[in-house]
Amino acid sequence: MAQGYSIVIGLLVIVALSAAAWFLSPKGENQVLWRSSLILAIVSCYLMWLITFLAQLHPLIAPRRSNLREEFVGHSI
Amino acid sequence: MAPRRDTPFRSAEMSMVQLYVSNEIGREVVTALGELGLCQFRDLNADVSAFQRTFTQEIRRLDNVERQLRYFYAQMEKAGIPLRKLDLDAEKLASPSTSEIDELAERAQKLEQRISALNDSYETLKKREGDLTEWRWVLREAGSFFDRAHGNVDEIRASTDEQDDAPLLSDMEQATSAPDAERSFSGMNIGFVAGVINRDRVAAFERILWRTLRGNLYMNQSEIPEPLIDPTNNEAIQKNVFVIFAHGKEILSKIRKISESMGADVYNVDENSDLRREQIHEVNNRLEDVQNVLRNTQATLEAELTQISQSLAPWTVLIAKEKAVYSTLNMLSYDSARRTLIAEAWCPTNDMPLIRSTLQDVTNRAGLSVPSIVNEIKTSKKPPTYLKTNKFTEGFQTIVNAYGTATYQEVNPALPVIVTFPFLFAVMFGDLGHAIIMLTAALAMIYWEKSLKKVSFELFAMIFYGRYIALVMAVFSVFTGLMYNDIFSKSMTLWKSAWEYERPEHWSEGDALEAHLNPHGYRYPFGLDWAWHGTENNLLFTNSYKMKMSIILGWAHMTYSLCFSYINARHFKKPIDIWGNFIPGMIFFQSIFGYLVVCIIYKWSVDWQASGRNPPGLLNMLIYMFLQPGKLDERLYAGQEYVQSILLLLAFVQVPILLFLKPFYLRWENSKTRARGYRGLGETSRVSALDGDDETEALANGHGNSFDEDGGVAMISQDIDEDHEEFEFGEVMIHQIIHTIEFCLNCVSHTASYLRLWALSLAHQQLSVVLWDMTLGPCLARGGVLGVFMIVVGFYLWFFLTIAILVCMEGTSAMLHSLRLAWVESFSKFAEFAGWPFAPFSFSTLIEESEELKNYLE
Repeated sequence: MAQGYSIVIGLLVIVALSAAAWFLSPKGENQVLWRSSLILAIVSCYLMWLITFLAQLHPLIAPRRSNLREEFVGHSI
Repeated sequence: MAPRRDTPFRSAEMSMVQLYVSNEIGREVVTALGELGLCQFRDLNADVSAFQRTFTQEIRRLDNVERQLRYFYAQMEKAGIPLRKLDLDAEKLASPSTSEIDELAERAQKLEQRISALNDSYETLKKREGDLTEWRWVLREAGSFFDRAHGNVDEIRASTDEQDDAPLLSDMEQATSAPDAERSFSGMNIGFVAGVINRDRVAAFERILWRTLRGNLYMNQSEIPEPLIDPTNNEAIQKNVFVIFAHGKEILSKIRKISESMGADVYNVDENSDLRREQIHEVNNRLEDVQNVLRNTQATLEAELTQISQSLAPWTVLIAKEKAVYSTLNMLSYDSARRTLIAEAWCPTNDMPLIRSTLQDVTNRAGLSVPSIVNEIKTSKKPPTYLKTNKFTEGFQTIVNAYGTATYQEVNPALPVIVTFPFLFAVMFGDLGHAIIMLTAALAMIYWEKSLKKVSFELFAMIFYGRYIALVMAVFSVFTGLMYNDIFSKSMTLWKSAWEYERPEHWSEGDALEAHLNPHGYRYPFGLDWAWHGTENNLLFTNSYKMKMSIILGWAHMTYSLCFSYINARHFKKPIDIWGNFIPGMIFFQSIFGYLVVCIIYKWSVDWQASGRNPPGLLNMLIYMFLQPGKLDERLYAGQEYVQSILLLLAFVQVPILLFLKPFYLRWENSKTRARGYRGLGETSRVSALDGDDETEALANGHGNSFDEDGGVAMISQDIDEDHEEFEFGEVMIHQIIHTIEFCLNCVSHTASYLRLWALSLAHQQLSVVLWDMTLGPCLARGGVLGVFMIVVGFYLWFFLTIAILVCMEGTSAMLHSLRLAWVESFSKFAEFAGWPFAPFSFSTLIEESEELKNYLE
C-alpha cells in the first residue's frame, strides 16, 4: 500500500466523492450550497493530503535522533 | 423569462413595485406586509418633516400608550411583581383591529389613572405613617427625658437665677438636691421645642442654634435606634430626637424657624406626663389605622399590577408593531383625489406572487370593491442586496457582511467562505485533541440549541451565534490534526512508519542515528509520518513542508477566488472585464506563482538521491528568475531557463494589457454609441415617485394622470437616474492604473501573506509541546505518592491551560488570521462590495432588534 501511485487512487476517490456530492445534494434552494461546500471541502482535504504525501515521497532529509533506545534500533518500526 | 430561483450563490433578484391601496385598508395592508417581512418601503415624503406627515397624530397617541405601558413596567419593578414574558416562538399574536388598539389605549389610560391614584394615596399614607412614627419616637424619647429632668428642675432654676449669662450646660454637674422637683417648667417660664432631625445634620443644627441664641438654650437629644424610611425615595434615614429648652416666646419661635429651615420636623409634645401618655395612646391608634389602610392600598395596587403583568408583554409588542405600521404609512404618498395610498417598495422578484396574494386577501377580507394593485416598475436604480440565509449560513454571511455588503447579484462571497474560512483556520489549528474539544463544544451548542438561545450573556451569545462556524472549523481541524499527526502535541502510530533505524557498527545508546527509508517504496499513507515526532531535525522537515503547503494552499485559494471574477463578468455581461481584467490577471498570476507551485510539486516528485543531483532552492530560483532571466545556478529540469524567460515575458506583457485594454475599449465603445446618435440625456420621464428631486408635486399629479381607464396601470418608462455618469476617459484610466498596480503587487504580497498558515500552525504546535513539557510531561516521570499527587495537579493544570490557551486563545488568533485571508486575500480578487443591504419592513426583525422589547420577551 501507499506507494507513489496512491496519488492517482486518491484522485479517483475524490472524483467519485465529488460526483456523489454533486448528484446526491438535496434539491431545492440550497442545492448550490451543498454542492459547492461539499466539493470544495473534498478538494481542499485532498489537496492537503496530497501535499503531505508528496512532501514525504522523496524526502531530502531523514529523521535523526540520539535518544533511541536499544530495542528500537535494527527493527523495522 | 421565468425568474431564476434565488440561491445562496448570489443575492436575490429584486423588483421595485408600486402598490396602490385604498385608503381604508392602508393600515391592514401594511400590517400584513410587516408580518410577511419582504418589502422595503421607500420614503415618498422625504421632504416632509416628521410633524407634517399624515399619521403623526396616531403615532403620538401610541407614544403615549407606550409611555403608560412603561410606567406600568416601572411600577411592577418597584413592587417586585414578576412579568409574564412573551414567548413568541410558542404563541402568536393576532394582528389587532383598529378598535382593539383603541380599546387597549383606553384601557391603558384608565389603568394609568387608577395606578397613579393608588400610588398617590399610598405615598400620602406612607408619609403620614412616617410622621406618626416620628411623633411616637419624639413622645417616647422626650417623655423619658422629662421624667429624668424633673428631678433636676430646681437646680436648673437656681443656676438661671444666679447668673443669667452662664451657659446652661456647664452648670449641669453642680446638682444639689431638689425638694420641689414637682414643679413644672412652665412655672419657670421655660418653653421647649421637640422634634426629629436627620442625624448627619445634628452637629450643624446645634452649632447654629448655639450661635443665634448665644447659648441661651438647653438641648437634649437622643438617637432613634431604628432607621426611618423616607417615603419619597424609599431610603432609610438615621434620625435623632431633640428637645430644646429655652426662655421666652420669641426665642422659641426662632428655634422653631431654625429647625424647620434645617429640615427638622417639630412635633407637639405635652409636658404633663398624663397628657403625654394619652398622646402616645392616640398616636398609636392612628398609626395602626394608617397602617391598616396602607396595607389595603398596597394589596389593591399589587393585585392591579399582577393583573397587568399578565398581559403587559403582548400589549407592548402590539403597540410597538402598531407604531411601526404608522411610521411606515407615513412614508407612503396619499392621493387625496382618489383616496388611495401609493407605496413604493423593493421586494424580491420571486416573492411577488406572495405579496400579490397577501394584498388580495386583505382586500377581500375588508370587502372592498376597489382592488389593490401591485405594479412592477422598471428603474435603473441599484436594487438592494438581499442574501437569504438559514441557520447554518447565517454566521458565515455575518462575517462576510462585517466586511461589506456585496454588490447586487454578484457572487456571494459567503459561499466559498463556508469552506475556505474554516479550512484555513484548521490548517493553523491542526491538533486532533484540541479539535475534539472544540467539536464537542460546538456539538453541545447545537444539541441544546433551543435552551441556550435564551442565554443573554454577551460573550457566550457571540460564540453561540457562531456555533455552526465552530462546528465546521472543528471538523476540518480533526482532519488537519490527523494530517499533522498531532494529538495534544503527541503523535499517533496509526500506520507503519516508512522509516526504519538500522543498527550501524559500533553504535551504542546515546549516539545520533539517522533513519533510512524502507526499500519497498512504502510511504506513510495518511498524514505526517510519526517517525518525525521528537527527532532532532523534526522542525527542519515540518517547516519546509508547512511553508510549501502554505504557498500551495494560498495559490489554490487565490486562483479559486479569481475565477469568481470571471463568473461576475459573465453575469453582468461585461466581456471587457474578462478580456481586460480576468484573463491577463490570471496569466500574470499563474506564470509567476502557478509556476512556483508547479516547481514545488515537481521537486517533491523527483527522487533527488537516486538521481544524484543537487536539489535547487526554489526561493532562490524564483528570485533569480526576475534578477537574471535566462541564467541558472542550479537546474531543476531541462530547458528551465527558456521556460522561465517565456513565463516572465508572458507575465510582463500582461501589465500593459491590464493597464490599457479596458479603458481604451470603453472609450471606443462610447464614441461608437455617440457616433450612432445616442446621447446620454435625461429625456425620458421619471417613473419612480421618489427620485428625490424637486418635482414631487408634479410627480404625485403625474401618478394620478397616469391611471388609464382600463385597469389602472401606471405609465412606466425607463428613467435615467441621477447616478448615470458621463463617460470620462481620465477617470476610467486612473481607476484601471490603480487596479493594475494593486493587482500585480498584491499577487506578491498576498502569496507571502499565506505564510501565516505556516507560522501559526508552527506556533500552535510548539506551544502545545511546551505546555506538555512544562506541566504534565515531567509529572508522568515521577513515581510514588508524590507522583500520584503531581499527576493529578499536573493534569488539571495542563488540561485547563490547554483549553484556555490552546483552544480559546490560539483558536481566536487562528480565526482572526483566517478571517483576514478571506477578507483581504480572497475577496479582493473578485468582490466589489458596492451594494446596500436589503432591510425589509418586518415585525420579526423589529421585535428582535428592539432593545426595549427584550425585557418583555423570553
